[in-house]
Amino acid sequence: MDFLKSGLKTVLGAPETGQQPSVAETVERLVERASNSTLLEDRRDACRALKAMSRKYRLEVGAQGLDTLRQILELDRADNETVNYALDTLNNIVSPSQFEEEEDKPHIPMNIGDQFTEMFIKDPHNIQLVLDLLDEYDFRVRLSAVQLLVSVLTNRTKDIQEIILDKPMGVSKMMDLLADTREVIRNETLLLLIKLTKGNANIQKIVAFENAFDRLFEIVSSEGYSDGGIIVEDCLLLMLNLLKNNSSNINFFKEGSYIQKMLPMFNIPENSEEVGWSSQKVVNVHCMLQLVRTLVSPSNSIQIISSCQKIMKNVGLLDALCNILMASGVPADILTETINTVGEVVRGDATNQEFIGNVIAPSYPPRPAIIVLLMSMVNEKQPFALRCAVLYCFQCYLYHNEISQSNLVQTLLPSSSDVSSLTSGQILCGGLFSSDVLSNWFSAVALKHALIDNLTQKEQALRVLLATNIGSTPVSLLHQCTLLLQQTTKLQSKVALLMLLSTWTAGCPPAVAAFLGAPGGVPLLVHHAGSNEHDDNECLLQGLSAFLLAICIHFNDDSVASYSRDGLRQLLVKRIGVETFVAKLSDVSRHELYNKAAKHPQMRAASPADLLLDYEFCKLFKSLEGPLIESVCQTPGRSSPEPQLEQYKSLIRQQDARLQELVQQLETVTAHAQQLQSALNDSQAANSLLRDENTLLKAQVGSSGTDGTHEHEERIRQLTEEVRRMKEELEGARRSQERSREELDKMRRDQNDLLELLDDQDVKLNEYKMRLINLGQAVDEDNVVEPEDNLSSVNNKIVDGKDYIVTPPL
Amino acid sequence: MLLFSGVGKSCLLLQFTDKRFQPVHDLTIGVEFGARMITIDGKQIKLQIWDTAGQEAFRSITRSYYRGAAGALLVYDITRRDTFNHLTTWLEDARQHSNSNMVIMLIGNKSDLESRREVKKEEGEAFAREHGLVFMETSAKTAANVEEAFINTAKEIYEKIQEGVFDINNEANGIKIGPQHGGAGSGGGAPGAGGAPPGGCC
Repeated sequence: MDFLKSGLKTVLGAPETGQQPSVAETVERLVERASNSTLLEDRRDACRALKAMSRKYRLEVGAQGLDTLRQILELDRADNETVNYALDTLNNIVSPSQFEEEEDKPHIPMNIGDQFTEMFIKDPHNIQLVLDLLDEYDFRVRLSAVQLLVSVLTNRTKDIQEIILDKPMGVSKMMDLLADTREVIRNETLLLLIKLTKGNANIQKIVAFENAFDRLFEIVSSEGYSDGGIIVEDCLLLMLNLLKNNSSNINFFKEGSYIQKMLPMFNIPENSEEVGWSSQKVVNVHCMLQLVRTLVSPSNSIQIISSCQKIMKNVGLLDALCNILMASGVPADILTETINTVGEVVRGDATNQEFIGNVIAPSYPPRPAIIVLLMSMVNEKQPFALRCAVLYCFQCYLYHNEISQSNLVQTLLPSSSDVSSLTSGQILCGGLFSSDVLSNWFSAVALKHALIDNLTQKEQALRVLLATNIGSTPVSLLHQCTLLLQQTTKLQSKVALLMLLSTWTAGCPPAVAAFLGAPGGVPLLVHHAGSNEHDDNECLLQGLSAFLLAICIHFNDDSVASYSRDGLRQLLVKRIGVETFVAKLSDVSRHELYNKAAKHPQMRAASPADLLLDYEFCKLFKSLEGPLIESVCQTPGRSSPEPQLEQYKSLIRQQDARLQELVQQLETVTAHAQQLQSALNDSQAANSLLRDENTLLKAQVGSSGTDGTHEHEERIRQLTEEVRRMKEELEGARRSQERSREELDKMRRDQNDLLELLDDQDVKLNEYKMRLINLGQAVDEDNVVEPEDNLSSVNNKIVDGKDYIVTPPL
Repeated sequence: MLLFSGVGKSCLLLQFTDKRFQPVHDLTIGVEFGARMITIDGKQIKLQIWDTAGQEAFRSITRSYYRGAAGALLVYDITRRDTFNHLTTWLEDARQHSNSNMVIMLIGNKSDLESRREVKKEEGEAFAREHGLVFMETSAKTAANVEEAFINTAKEIYEKIQEGVFDINNEANGIKIGPQHGGAGSGGGAPGAGGAPPGGCC
């Protein structure tokens, strides 16, 4: 404090005696001086004094000096020292941590740095000012600017990230600092980049684009890989930030052959056992393992995981990891993390799974590494985390791999057991029935993973027999599990066995039948499921029991008479009630540990007590919960299911018969229809053929004979007409002929009459002549004729003047 | 790659790296990385390609990728006149922030949609001539010219390396010598532009 006072004195001049200026006044004068003095030296001195005060009195300095300091960054850029003081002062003001000097000042709010940061970044231009100062080569200025950015980033990560992203070349500028030959700046830049890249994918990608991986690997290698100091750790942390949940960068990392570059990090020197592991080395290797896991994390996309896994195998990374597993003197937490990492590198990749299945541990006698790992899992003296890791690794080894699943079950089957060597199946069975609760849990879950989605192994496992006591008859594994479920009093064992049995029986009616056939199984489940205790973990037990019971109903093939599908359903409805049953099931999915386990394939249990549910079981539960509830609730008329069922059955039979009949009819009709169809087709074909022919012929006829026919027809018509006319003429002629003949006949008759008459006249005439002569009258011949005239007139009257009647002269 | 929203950059990249076409693609957020090995002059070259978002909102992010890119594909959509009209802005932006030697290729994408064409091929050619770019029309859907577009860009970069225009020891050029194949390089390439409304597929 004295030092501070004397410092102030030199800047401000001696205070008036007897009157100590308050801190606020002092700061006010300093700020005024820093902003208004014309002499650079004065401004610089003021800044120096402000910096000195800013740790203890940051509230005052910040409240009054923020604007002035900002202004100095802009206007006094040319003077490195002044700018440096201003930057340091600002850094003190916004610092996220509490200074020693402040400890006795309880009135300063805890988040004061945060508040000043908010004020400082209100104008984004201020950040630009600091970014511009990064271009300054001066060591102090550059370092202070980086430190200030680290502080503001710590306080306001998201806001600053957005501002920097918006500044052209903002991120690139920081990346350039990584190449600074002065290590202090490079190291501070690493810290800055770690803060900057946290949770912002866009910044992560730009940093990666700016060759971050190359530079970081250069630094890591120059620092001596895992034997390097905290800088190696920082580099690895930055890489982790760049890759975590960023598939674009993971792709880049993979395509840029950076996986190969990780290899030297996992080299364990021969003499590591004697040298031991420094704590920094442990941290570094831990980070590297995290890096590997980030690439193959189950939360990445399948394509990324599988291509990374293949590369890791091909470049020998998996080999190197296995070497760490087998090396001696490796610290337990590194070993644990290596086991987890190996698990994820092999998870779902058949080649890699086979590879670790074949790794032989350098033990005596030599044993497969898997066996050695499983032995640690069921050994209660091993650390809890390590045992969890082994389980996870073993799960990954079995994951989606029917061969490794079948290999495990095979070791349990009577025919194949090789008495001399310990098999994984034996270890797990031993663990299942050991007195160590955790071993029970681990073994049950491990066994369960051999059965997941694998109907063949579920059925194979039913054949597994155990000789519990010498001389007694062997018991099947499933019966033994059921028995154990009844005997054990430990919650963890019960839960583990229930999960194992649920997985086993789900989708596998023979396993359901075997379970129902085991004595005491169902009553126990009903007892648990119907119990009413409200302890959290009790609820879980009740829910799981109800779940298994429902599986036994849903996948029941009615082969066990005493527990048929309907019998069991009735039992459940009567003893537990549908609503209670549904509630019990939903209790499971509401359980805290359920949600925790369902998140990630690896269980993240902090303590042994947290080990209850596992990820794959949660998946099974989620997929079956709906169908099971439906299956249990499906008969509403619960009181008389049997007669109703019969009724339905007969109905179904009737319908079946009817269906059969209809099917036959349909077949006949279809055949008939087919025949008709083909006939129709033939006809249509013939028809169209004929039509074609017809058309063809018509065309021929049209082209060759049309005119002639017409002529003929015309002629025929004419002739017919003529004939007709002729006939008519003929008829007319005949008729007139007839008439003529009649007339002729009449004429002849008339003529004859007239001739007769004429004869009479002649006779008379002669008589008269005679008389005349006799009377003496000379009768001239001519006179004689006279009466002839009279006669002719008479003649005329008779013949009606016809000219051809000529009276012949007598 | 830098480009317009919805003009089909991501589909071009997908067609090039994975040889497949995906008609419905999420809008590119920020930048996505893709890579493929090609052979030029008997040398294995790994192309590293950054596919940038075309939207205006990502423009400041996109700018960070100009520096350090050896080549860029500037893509417009032949069925959308507005994407062609924005080219000048993008080109200026790219030239301003990039290495002056950056190879830029102009791409008219969606050449399969001839019936909806709004920008004539001649116009694209003229624009390219005027600004000294290489021009090509492609279809990410039918894969027409997609290989050529990327490989020609890579060839141009390769020639510039041979001529000594690019200093292969300076990483800021976006070129690295691969360890296992003598003389292999990787060209970070990216064309960009944006501003068009979101939505639409390539």
